[in-house]
Amino acid sequence: MGGIVGIYGFSKEWRMARFVYYALLALQHRGQENCGIVTFNGESLSQYKGSGLVDQVFSNQNILDELPGWIGIGSVTSTIEKDSSKIQPVVVWEPLPLALCFDGKILNIKDLVEKEKVNGENEAEILAKIFSLELEQTGNPMEAMVNFMGKIKGAYSLIVLTGKGEMIVGRDPAGIKPLTIGSFGFDYGVVASESCVMDVIGADFKNDVQPGEVYHFDAYSIERKQVLKPNPKFCAFEYVYYARPDSILNGKSIYEVRMKIGEKLAEEHSVNKGEIVLGVPETAIPFAMAYSNKTKTPLGIGFVQTGRRIRSAIKPTEFERIVGVQLKLNPIRAAIAGKKIVLVDDSVVRGTTTKNTVNIMRNRMGAKEVHVRIGSPRLIAQCPFGTDVPPKDELIAVHLNAEEVSKVVGADTFHWLSLKGLVEAIGIPRKNLCLGCFTGKYPQINCKER
Amino acid sequence: MVKVLLVGEAAREHAIAEAICRSNYDPKLYAVMRLRNPGIDSLCKVTGGEVALGNSQDPKFVVETAKKFHVDFVFVGPEEPLFRGTADELEKEGIPCIGAKRGPAELEMSKAFMRRLMWKYRIPGRLRFKAFKNVEDAIAYIHEYAESVALKPARQAGGKGVKVIADLQAYLTSEKTHVKREHAKAIHEKYMKDYRDIDDRILIEERVEGPEYTLQAFTDGRTVKPLPLVQDNKNAFEMDIGPETGGMGSIAGKGMFLPFITEEEYRKSVEIVKNCVRAVEKETGEKYKGIVSGQMMCTASWGPTIIEFYSRLGDPEAVNVLPILKTDMIEICEAIIDEKLNKIKLKFENVATVVKCVAPKGYPEERNLAKGHPLHVDVDMVKKLGCKVYFASTDLQPDGKIISGGSRLVEIFGKGKTIPEASRKVEACIPYVWLEDGWGVFHRSDIGSEQLLEKRIEQANLIRAVYKYRARKGLIGKTIEWIPKKGKIIIET
Repeated sequence: MGGIVGIYGFSKEWRMARFVYYALLALQHRGQENCGIVTFNGESLSQYKGSGLVDQVFSNQNILDELPGWIGIGSVTSTIEKDSSKIQPVVVWEPLPLALCFDGKILNIKDLVEKEKVNGENEAEILAKIFSLELEQTGNPMEAMVNFMGKIKGAYSLIVLTGKGEMIVGRDPAGIKPLTIGSFGFDYGVVASESCVMDVIGADFKNDVQPGEVYHFDAYSIERKQVLKPNPKFCAFEYVYYARPDSILNGKSIYEVRMKIGEKLAEEHSVNKGEIVLGVPETAIPFAMAYSNKTKTPLGIGFVQTGRRIRSAIKPTEFERIVGVQLKLNPIRAAIAGKKIVLVDDSVVRGTTTKNTVNIMRNRMGAKEVHVRIGSPRLIAQCPFGTDVPPKDELIAVHLNAEEVSKVVGADTFHWLSLKGLVEAIGIPRKNLCLGCFTGKYPQINCKER
Repeated sequence: MVKVLLVGEAAREHAIAEAICRSNYDPKLYAVMRLRNPGIDSLCKVTGGEVALGNSQDPKFVVETAKKFHVDFVFVGPEEPLFRGTADELEKEGIPCIGAKRGPAELEMSKAFMRRLMWKYRIPGRLRFKAFKNVEDAIAYIHEYAESVALKPARQAGGKGVKVIADLQAYLTSEKTHVKREHAKAIHEKYMKDYRDIDDRILIEERVEGPEYTLQAFTDGRTVKPLPLVQDNKNAFEMDIGPETGGMGSIAGKGMFLPFITEEEYRKSVEIVKNCVRAVEKETGEKYKGIVSGQMMCTASWGPTIIEFYSRLGDPEAVNVLPILKTDMIEICEAIIDEKLNKIKLKFENVATVVKCVAPKGYPEERNLAKGHPLHVDVDMVKKLGCKVYFASTDLQPDGKIISGGSRLVEIFGKGKTIPEASRKVEACIPYVWLEDGWGVFHRSDIGSEQLLEKRIEQANLIRAVYKYRARKGLIGKTIEWIPKKGKIIIET
């Protein structure tokens, strides 16, 4: 998982590092382990990267002043990197210098390593080296990208910044990973994983980068090209969990989709005479609001967060996840004690966090009843495209039915949203969605050139 | 027979030339051009006129040429010859000119003069501004006030050097301030470098946002006769992304308005332009004879607001309206000269029009790269597709080759029942324009599309709701603030 951004200044007086920094803050929810910024100042690429949250890695803001230039790219990622030079954006110097960052997963990475005779410690490094070779052979970034996208197979949104100050941006033909484009006046263009970035840095959101589409920015043009035939399979999990509610992805407002999910939950599994609806912060709040509106059950605030916001579900270890949840969810006794509660959450992976939450509500806060409603269908398969869903033997929905789960987590009743309900809430035809983690059937990824 | 000398060499002048040559008064067209625009060149030949290649910005050269050919009047296309007193010099020789004299042309030439005038005469649609005579004072001001501003050369500098900075995120203010400072320096050192004809150097205006449009009009100093509203698209690339250009294409109609400007807003816009024409005469004692255009924006503070004035037709905006002008152009010109414009009724075909510019790669930032490439345009094919070619920055060589001059190459005009229909017609012509040496060209396919129109309408509705709210609260032309320890203050805007 990750978030990427590229900002291209149309005049040289702009210093983009600070814009990239705030863009990365806006993408922090997509990756909380590493982050990095690479800039170009007309002569060379400058980089700064590290492990930690964006404001931790760049806690000394002087670092931003030392990243000169009017073009900048950056990323946040959720995989652990031991060697900080391998953190994205990865910079390679041979045969031609460039920086690359991407969100996604490449499926044919082993074949690529063999065929292209490159080595690297992670996908980003391997991709950067292959792109550098393509660039040397073609001498033209757009052509290099066309060849490159013809070779790589998988789900990706990626940004390359060359040592000559060209920025090339591509999205896989299935569009599994999001990518949006925007701009600020006559001054700069922006591409970013999510449209919320545009708001945060004061730019205007324009559109999605379409599946299979490439944008090329250089000193005197922006070129757009449909490189691969689009076959949209937009990731449904973005709508349920990953994306920020203030983003618009693939033409759909995340907030609106989440409100519809809440309505669908109310239609499918309304709790009779529930006394209060509580959403698990933050993702499930719109679900709970819409459920409350639809069922006329009062909405309450059930939890207060301690410490900084983190996304507990994408933390790499069980211990960190539990710590995350416990700090995130300090219950409000007055909202819970003695009540028949509808508890709405976005997803259930292993069931441990739900169990923890329900237990506290029932055993310590004195909830009368706890009815759990999940704003997504049963999560039954690992994602091959880089979304952090664990393997099958760690997924509770693979092994237990709703009634059994309710006993495990200590709830009176427990229900998932139906697959049909989710598809309707998103409002994109089912054939254009990747619902693999809920169905176990993943779209076939082709990489034929158009 | 009427002999007309046209000054200028861009697509706008090609459209003017064509309108003149459509006249029933047996026109004979002469032209003063820096580059040999193939379109104007051919119209001169067809009507039995001639081309004088030379510095079209030099009043002396224009006067000499006018005398040499014994023309009845001169029509000046671009602004710079007016700033340099071409109309004044012609008057001395008794040659009438369509184009403002140096005095009234100050409305465009000095943006500081224009703002002062609007304030002095309390004309609606004005903006708060500060004019600076040196860069140090401008920079000191920039450091003192972190605000959203437009930084402009105080003089019209070929449409270049304007930077609008929205400074709304406190956490990015340091970067915005840096850019404002650097740009103020650039205005002083680069954009204003060659201009010593006004004292003011740098203009800092409050930044406004909203849909922009151009109101072009003929005037004889007494009557102002507006042409249909046009909207230009300034960003170089699609979806309004990219650096500022002279305009990548424009839309108009159907009729006098645009789909996102109401009749009321149109009337207010005309009123503002009329007021300014009257004010400039009072101020300079000179009648304004020629063209006046308001480059306008519908803003939250006023509704219709003046961004800048043109003392000429816009380019590409001229190409939207002149081809559909049904009134005889020479009759209009003579009415301006005789101050009888009130007798003229302007008639236009009742259609929507779209103009798209095709530019060489390199435009607008790296014009030396965009220059010197041989152009191919299949004019007959464009005609067959129901559209028209207007030549822009191009130079016809003795061997018949057309060479790019560094700016936009051609402007393609199309008309239809709706703007999207006209846009589709023009789009079909684009493949028939290329550079023979393989150098890339670009245009904006989105201009006139349903999608972009929807965005403009959406933006206009948003802004309209705000200025209507302000009108309900009695806040047009002023802002009320409450400042701790100071109390309530009313700021005129």
